[in-house]
Amino acid sequence: MPRASEKQLESTRASSEHQKTWFAELRRNVFDEKKPYAIAQADMPLELFHLLGVPVVSNQWWAAVVSAKQLSGYFFDALHAAGYHEGLCRYCSLSLASSISGDPAKAPWGGLPKPALLAARLTCDCIQRVFETWAASFGAEFIALDSPGATHLPPRWWELSRDRWRELYEPHRLDFMVAQFGVLIHALERISRIKFSPARLRSLMEGVNRQEEYFDEVRDLICSAPQTPVRMNEQVINVMNAQWHRGTDWAVSHARTFRDEVRHRVEQGIAAYPGEKLRLMWVGAGLWHDTDFYTAFEESLGAVFVWSMYLAFGPDGYIRYGLDDPLRALASRIVSMNEQLHNPPWANEWIVDQAKRHRIDGAVILVPENSRPSATGTFFIKHALENAGIPALEIWADMVDARRWDGASMRQRVAKFIETRVRRA
Amino acid sequence: MSGAFEKLLWHYQHRSAEALAQHKAGMPVVAFTSSMVPWELIRAAGCFPVLIGPDLDVLDKPTPLADSLMEPVFDSRIRAIFNDVLSGAWSFLRLLIVPRTSEPENKLYLYLREVTRQKLCDKQPPVHLYDLLHTRSSISRKYGIDRTKDLMQRLEGIAPISSKSLASAITESNAARAALRRLQKLRQGEVPRITGSNAHMITGALYFMNRAEYAKLVGEVCRECKSAKPLRGPRLLIKGMPLHHPRLHQALEAHGAVIVAEDDWWGSRAVEANVVPGRGVASIISAIFENYYLHTPSPRVLPAAAADRWFQDSVRRRIDGVVFYLPPEDDVYGWDYPRQRDFLQTSEIPSLLIREDAFCGLSAGANAQIRDFIQKIRRSRHAARV
Repeated sequence: MPRASEKQLESTRASSEHQKTWFAELRRNVFDEKKPYAIAQADMPLELFHLLGVPVVSNQWWAAVVSAKQLSGYFFDALHAAGYHEGLCRYCSLSLASSISGDPAKAPWGGLPKPALLAARLTCDCIQRVFETWAASFGAEFIALDSPGATHLPPRWWELSRDRWRELYEPHRLDFMVAQFGVLIHALERISRIKFSPARLRSLMEGVNRQEEYFDEVRDLICSAPQTPVRMNEQVINVMNAQWHRGTDWAVSHARTFRDEVRHRVEQGIAAYPGEKLRLMWVGAGLWHDTDFYTAFEESLGAVFVWSMYLAFGPDGYIRYGLDDPLRALASRIVSMNEQLHNPPWANEWIVDQAKRHRIDGAVILVPENSRPSATGTFFIKHALENAGIPALEIWADMVDARRWDGASMRQRVAKFIETRVRRA
Repeated sequence: MSGAFEKLLWHYQHRSAEALAQHKAGMPVVAFTSSMVPWELIRAAGCFPVLIGPDLDVLDKPTPLADSLMEPVFDSRIRAIFNDVLSGAWSFLRLLIVPRTSEPENKLYLYLREVTRQKLCDKQPPVHLYDLLHTRSSISRKYGIDRTKDLMQRLEGIAPISSKSLASAITESNAARAALRRLQKLRQGEVPRITGSNAHMITGALYFMNRAEYAKLVGEVCRECKSAKPLRGPRLLIKGMPLHHPRLHQALEAHGAVIVAEDDWWGSRAVEANVVPGRGVASIISAIFENYYLHTPSPRVLPAAAADRWFQDSVRRRIDGVVFYLPPEDDVYGWDYPRQRDFLQTSEIPSLLIREDAFCGLSAGANAQIRDFIQKIRRSRHAARV
């Protein structure tokens, strides 16, 4: 049987290598050549940053890196000592903590240098505070995109999002987002001295479509193969490294290579874990401080995590056809990410559909008690899964803060859930 | 205190009573979940506007209906509202308006919609999202005016709104605003003559009453207070999570403090400026919107400099100390605390942080901290006089 920690796909190694090279280049450009870069929330229109030549570091990616280096406890303790209480959100603030508290030089690669710009979409009530504090500490500009509320909520949104996005995401919300994009574009143009071009954006958006179509094929392969050809961990690495650079030549090419490799594995009858008997889904953000958790139930119980939102959300959340107005199409990609992933009815309906397509036997739902905005919608998701006949277990933990995580007892709890509820079902 | 005060207190404590009475009398009732919803628009549509409190005696009771659908990360007030609505207690409403004053309210709106979609409750009123955004930009301002027009259109489904009915509603509301400003002066003047807890409860009653009657009663209270005994303790301002109950005030007053202001919409910031209408419906709608957009506090106001302005101006006006109230259920205002604490340190104003839930009663440790804090202020005031 393959070892739990091994990387089975060449794409995974290539993807990780690319991300390391990209970040080394970013640091070289920023430190040595003093080129500007930006820090942004993951749900921002990263396409505009790519298009206008401003390299961007995602807040969530950096938080995952800090967490994976087992530094979250150090920085959160320091943040608390500075007066920020323990009940505040973790996921979106770990990167801030690594810049303003404790010894910032302890952060990976010596910490983030001063960006030219910070940018965030105001989904929750905390993020404007995190980014304003962060921007002030750097002495950098902060651009916020406010988040208009959705009122048109057809439950099976993913059946409309590719072609009927103009009506699905409500014209007044799209108008508002496009107007806000104008402010962001102006700032990026000022930083890079590159002029915005709708034609170039259209071309980039077409690249994003191609990339997500490859991911769509990967998803279909995982759904139809007798056993999953690629572990969830490796799905996430391949998908997310490409998503951070979505639409670029490298990202499209990488998505194709990933698709080819997964297809080859399916054709050859190669399973990620040949002893797969039960298929699990992980609902919520990744458990970045303990990613081995996702392979912990293979050997003992034959239970394999085959699904997380990271791969599936690519095709359903990103593809847009009809790019005559690419900025508006981009606005439609961004404007409802929160509703789709965390709020009823969109999150629960989508996850049940995904569970059925992936032949899921049981679901583990992360409810992050210290990242409250990400915790919402989870009860509706749980009820929907259970009503569809899929046993679901909620676990209360944080995706980046390892201080209260007891890996051994959590593994016992999930193992018991698999034995008593998933197997029986 | 007088009969006027007792009446106001009764409405503060029995938050849905007047709405029910109005409903029984045949008036359509429209509710909202926080102060960002333009009261004047609802009134102009011939409806009785009411805030869903909820009642104080509900807040520490179990919320079984909400608990199966709403994660414990929601604060107790939002949870109690959700439970109340699911129970059918508000089924008589013609409309429930949820503003985008905070992300939990936006999610409350989505949860209520989902409950309806899944047919989990058959006693739920129709719900409307008033998507007023709080970033201070021309783009958000235009968006907000358009959403205000949408809200007016929705209300016109209940009854037509005219420039005359709008003007009348504004007059009624402005009278209540003027009365409240008089009350605030009595609290914040050279010699306060009304306790913070009483002033806070009187202010809160605004959301549950007919505003014409409210203005009259508050006017009576103000007249009586002018001859009341002056209050001489340390003058404190409360900052942090909005207080929909008087228990923190009472805990502080038990140690001799005088609460002269609180930076939230249940207290000193319930109303600020009058709505100044122009001519014609469009101009009036714009004036109403501007008033709520610029003067009603929300955790989503950006930039922080705009959000902090009232607080910073207030502490410069004879405040002896600030109590930061960040109970365990806070996950937002704590981000502001270090910045605001540092501002106070620079201004040489002492502050105290309370991290317990005052509604459930403060611990002996917290009470000791309050006592020490107030004694310290007294000593420094005494030293300054000497």
